[in-house]
Amino acid sequence: MKAKDKQAYLEEYEFLKKKGKPFFPYAVMKDSTMALIVVGVIIAMSIILGAEQGPKADPTTTTYVPRPEWYFFFLFELLRVIKPPELVPVATIGIPTICMVLLLLLPFYDRGPERHPGRRPIATTAGCLTIVAMAYLTYLGAIGGSPTEIEMKVPPQYEAGKEVVAGSGCLACHKIGENGGDLGPDLTHIGSQLPRAAIIRSVEIGPAEMPAFRDLPPKKLNQLSDFLASLD
Amino acid sequence: MKLDSLIPAPLRKPAKPGEGNGSKNAAPADLKTSPPERPSDTERLTDKAKDAPADVLAWVDQRTAASGFLTGMLYRKVPKGTNWFYTLGSAALFAFIVQAVTGVFLAMFYTPSPTEAYASISHINNDVFLGQFVHGMHKWGSSLMVILIFLHMGRTFFFGAYKYPRELNWVIGVVLLILTMTMAFTGYLLPFDQRSFWASVVGININGTGPVVGPYLSDFLRAGPELGATTLSRFYAIHMLLLPGAIIALIGAHLYLVVKLGTTAPPWVRAEKPKIAAPVSQLDAGAEGNGAPPPR
Amino acid sequence: MDKRNEPEAAAGERPKPLPRGYFEGESMTRRHAFTIAAQGIGGLAGAAIVLPAVGFAIAPIFERGKERWEAVGPLDDFVEDTYRQVVFTETQGIGDAGKTTAYVRKGSKQLGEDPREIIAVSNRCAHLGCPVRFVEAAGNFICPCHGGVYDFVGKVIGGPPVRPLDRFQTRIRNGQVELGPRYSVTSQLEPVRARDPGEFTGGIWEYLYPPRPSTFPPPSG
Repeated sequence: MKAKDKQAYLEEYEFLKKKGKPFFPYAVMKDSTMALIVVGVIIAMSIILGAEQGPKADPTTTTYVPRPEWYFFFLFELLRVIKPPELVPVATIGIPTICMVLLLLLPFYDRGPERHPGRRPIATTAGCLTIVAMAYLTYLGAIGGSPTEIEMKVPPQYEAGKEVVAGSGCLACHKIGENGGDLGPDLTHIGSQLPRAAIIRSVEIGPAEMPAFRDLPPKKLNQLSDFLASLD
Repeated sequence: MKLDSLIPAPLRKPAKPGEGNGSKNAAPADLKTSPPERPSDTERLTDKAKDAPADVLAWVDQRTAASGFLTGMLYRKVPKGTNWFYTLGSAALFAFIVQAVTGVFLAMFYTPSPTEAYASISHINNDVFLGQFVHGMHKWGSSLMVILIFLHMGRTFFFGAYKYPRELNWVIGVVLLILTMTMAFTGYLLPFDQRSFWASVVGININGTGPVVGPYLSDFLRAGPELGATTLSRFYAIHMLLLPGAIIALIGAHLYLVVKLGTTAPPWVRAEKPKIAAPVSQLDAGAEGNGAPPPR
Repeated sequence: MDKRNEPEAAAGERPKPLPRGYFEGESMTRRHAFTIAAQGIGGLAGAAIVLPAVGFAIAPIFERGKERWEAVGPLDDFVEDTYRQVVFTETQGIGDAGKTTAYVRKGSKQLGEDPREIIAVSNRCAHLGCPVRFVEAAGNFICPCHGGVYDFVGKVIGGPPVRPLDRFQTRIRNGQVELGPRYSVTSQLEPVRARDPGEFTGGIWEYLYPPRPSTFPPPSG
C-alpha cells in the first residue's frame, strides 16, 4: 500500500468515524446481546449434551478406536489421506506450519488498498476455498469409521473372509459397502467386475500402488477371495 | 444527583488536590453548594450516605485519572455501518471469560494425577452440586470459543480489516488462535478418559515428528520418554497457568490496539464525500489542516 | 563515539539534538555506562529467574529411568506361529496408566529367526502411537486411527506408518519370559534406540530425529 493510499484510508476512516455512533451504549448493546446469546448457548449445550465421561484411559487397549475432538478432525483426516510414509512429516508438521505462517503473515503479502471482498477476487476465492476444504476434511473426519470393521451383512459362509478383509487393512484404501476409504477402487461390487482368479492375482501381486499381500496364508487367501467374489 | 454529574468527567474539572483529599464530606469543589438552611441530622446522614459512592469514585478518580481514559474509551465513536458481525470478537472474549470462570471452579475439585484424575472428574460429575453443569459449560464453551474465534477471523479476513493500519492486530489475533488451539489440546488430556488419552498420545507424537527438535519437544511435553507420573500435572500447569496468562496478556494488547486504531467500517460503507457541500480539494485541505491522526 | 555526541564538543557545527531525558551537566560517557549497567543488571536478574525454571522444566529430557524387567509368563505359554497378548508395566508409579501391551511369540524357523529367541512386538503404531490390534484371521497388525497395516513380523505393508512396529528386549530367567526396555527397528528389523512414533529409522533421518538421551541403547546383536 502506498503512502497516498494510507493517507486516503485514514481520511476516509476519520470521516466515517465522525458520522458514527458512540461505542457506549450502541455497540455495547449489540455486544452484550451477543454475550447473552453465547452464554445461553453454552448453558443449553451443557444441559442437553452434558459432560459424559468416557471409559477410563487404558494404554493397554487393543480395541479402542481413537478419535480427536471435532475441531481437530480436519488435521486427523489430513493424516489419513496422506498415505506415503515419506510424506508423514509433511502432513504432521509441514502443512500445518505452512498454513499458520501464511495466516500469520497475511497482512504483509496482501498489501493492496482494496478492502471490499467483491473487489479482491484472489483473496476472497482463497478464503472461500480454505473454508470449503476445511469443512470437507472435517466432514470426512467425522464420518470416517474404524478401518477394521465392515458393517455389511454377509451369508455365514463368507463371514471368515470378511474378517480377513477387515483385518488386512483393505479398508484403508478400498470402500466396501459403507466402510472404507476411496483411494483405491470401490470393492462393493467387485464380484461382478472381476473373476475370483483375478482377485487372487491382484492380492498376490499388488497392482499399481497397492501393496502385495504375498504372505497371506493360502487358507486366508481363499476365504478372502470367496468373500470378495461374492460381492455383486 | 452527584453520580450522574460525575460520569462524563472530561466535561468537568476534577477537584483540586487538597480539597477533596480523603475526608468523607469533602465533595469535589464544583459540587459544593451552600445549604440555605440547616438540615436535620437524619437528612444530613442520608445525604452523606447518598453521596458516598460518588465520593469514593471521585477519590479514586482523583488518584488514577481513570475517568478520562474510560470515557474516552466508552464514548469513542465507532464508524458508520458497524453491524452484528462486529460482535464476534467480543463474543469470543466472553466465551474466554466463561472458560476462565468455570475453569477456576473446576480446578477446586480436580486432581492432576494419572491415578486420581479420572476419579476426581467422576466426583465432579456425580457428587458435586452443579458439578456436571459447570463441567459441561467448560467443555462446550471451548468448542464455542473455537467457533467464535474462527468466525471472528473470517469476518476480519473478508472485510479486509487486517490491512493498514491494523496489521499488527491481525498477527496478535493469529497468535491468540494458536494459543487457543493449544489450550484446547492441553485441556483435552485432563479428564483422562480413553478419548482424551489417545488424542493426547497422537498430539504429542505429531509434535515429535518435527525435525531435530521434535523428539526433545515430545520428551519435554511428557516429562520423559513415556506418558508418566508428571505428564498430567505438566499439561495442567500449561493449561491453567502458562497459556491463560499469555492469552490474557495478548487479549489486552489486542483490545488496546482496537481502541487505539478503532474498529473498521464494513468495506462497502463509503464516506459520502461529494454530498458534503465543499468541493473535494477544499475538503482535503480541511482534513490536512485538522491533522488526520498520523499513522502510529 | 561518545565524544562526538557530546554537545559541547560540537562547537561551531550545528549542535545535535540532545537525547531524551538529558539533563544539564550530564556527561555522555556517564549516560552510556548507566545504559549498559541498566540493561546488564536487568538482564542478569531476568536470567536468574528464567534459566533455573527452564532447566527445571526440560530436565526430564536428559534423565533416563532405571532399566526394569518384568516376567510375563512361562516360556511354554508362547508359540511361534501366533502372538500372545501380554500386559506389563512400562512406567512405574502411576498404576494402570503406566501399563502397555506387547504381542509375544517365539522365534519362527520358517521366517528365518532363531527359535530360541522371544519376540515381543509393541502395540504402539509407528505412525502416531495409536493402539494397533493383531488380527488373527489375517495375521496382520491393524491401526484403527489412520489405517496403518503391518505384517506378521511387524513390517509395514500399507498405510502411512514410517517404520516397523517397535519391540521390547526379552530374556528368559528361571523359565519365565521377561520383557525389558523398548527399542525401535529399521525396515530390515535391525534394532536401534527407541524412537517416538512418526520418526523414521535409518538413513538421513538419523540426523533429523536425533536419539533421545531418555531412551535405552538398543540390544546388541
